[in-house]
Amino acid sequence: MISDGILKASVLTGTLEGHSIITPRGAKLKRQIAADLLLTALIDAFSILVIFLLMNFSSTGEILMIGKNQELPKAHLADVLERNPVIKIDENKIYVEDKLVDANTITAELLDLRKKYQELHPKEEFPGIATIQADRRVKYEFLNQIILAMNQAGYSDIKFAVVVK
Amino acid sequence: MKHSKKHLDFEVNLIPFIDLLSVSICFLLITAVWLNVGSMNVKQAVGGQAQEDTKKSPLVWIRMSAQGDLDLEVQQSSLVPASLRKLRVAQQDKKVNYDGLEKALSSLKQVEPSLNTGLIQPTASTSYEDIIDVMDKLKKSGMTDLGVSPL
Repeated sequence: MISDGILKASVLTGTLEGHSIITPRGAKLKRQIAADLLLTALIDAFSILVIFLLMNFSSTGEILMIGKNQELPKAHLADVLERNPVIKIDENKIYVEDKLVDANTITAELLDLRKKYQELHPKEEFPGIATIQADRRVKYEFLNQIILAMNQAGYSDIKFAVVVK
Repeated sequence: MKHSKKHLDFEVNLIPFIDLLSVSICFLLITAVWLNVGSMNVKQAVGGQAQEDTKKSPLVWIRMSAQGDLDLEVQQSSLVPASLRKLRVAQQDKKVNYDGLEKALSSLKQVEPSLNTGLIQPTASTSYEDIIDVMDKLKKSGMTDLGVSPL
């Protein structure tokens, strides 16, 4: 079939020629059962998959660890998430950079982080930015103690972590 | 002279390509992050900056009530008429009326195009989600400087 097709006319004969035909019964003594797969289509599909996954590759996802019970609020117009100290509210507990704190110790912990930043970057001005990661159902009463502590510790910029719609 | 019948075509060995692509796909699938996380940038509405350093630019205060009503108050603006300085967006089915807020903000923005600052004052029982939704509407209306006030 293929030998009569358009591939016959080409200088370099087609990939199928002489390979993928199962030899008809009785034609030869040695039966050729093996059949080659067309790998070009497979490579095409794989390449498209790789390109799609590379385009969706995000390096910012590792900044936050979102728990099973935590559901972030959704927003249409959100900015890119940057690496800053993360204050997390999870099951009515407050964590500053994964360290468990309470309403009384959060300011001290934030001041400690500020001190560490200034020791590491003596010539730079302290940016005063922190990210708040909380469940969407949390009441403002609870968030308020974090905002007040941030205010006291000199963190004027708050970044609320949201899921982009 | 004998002419040997040699095939001119040759096949590229595709197996290493497939191996490479398979490994790439596995790596990318494992490390892929399907949740697109962003951030809503907000400033402390009170005490973040010294009063002398603060510019007297037009701003709108949005006071959220526990029932879902919103009270808008425009300050430091000469263009906004007295009738629009204080607006109330009533709740809808015990929820915040976001469409009403959007309309109110767009009418304010038409009168005062330099209105770029929005400050939110929630109540203790206001949910975090409602605050973020109000911020989203403020951003949608073209306000770039957002702030949240402590209780």
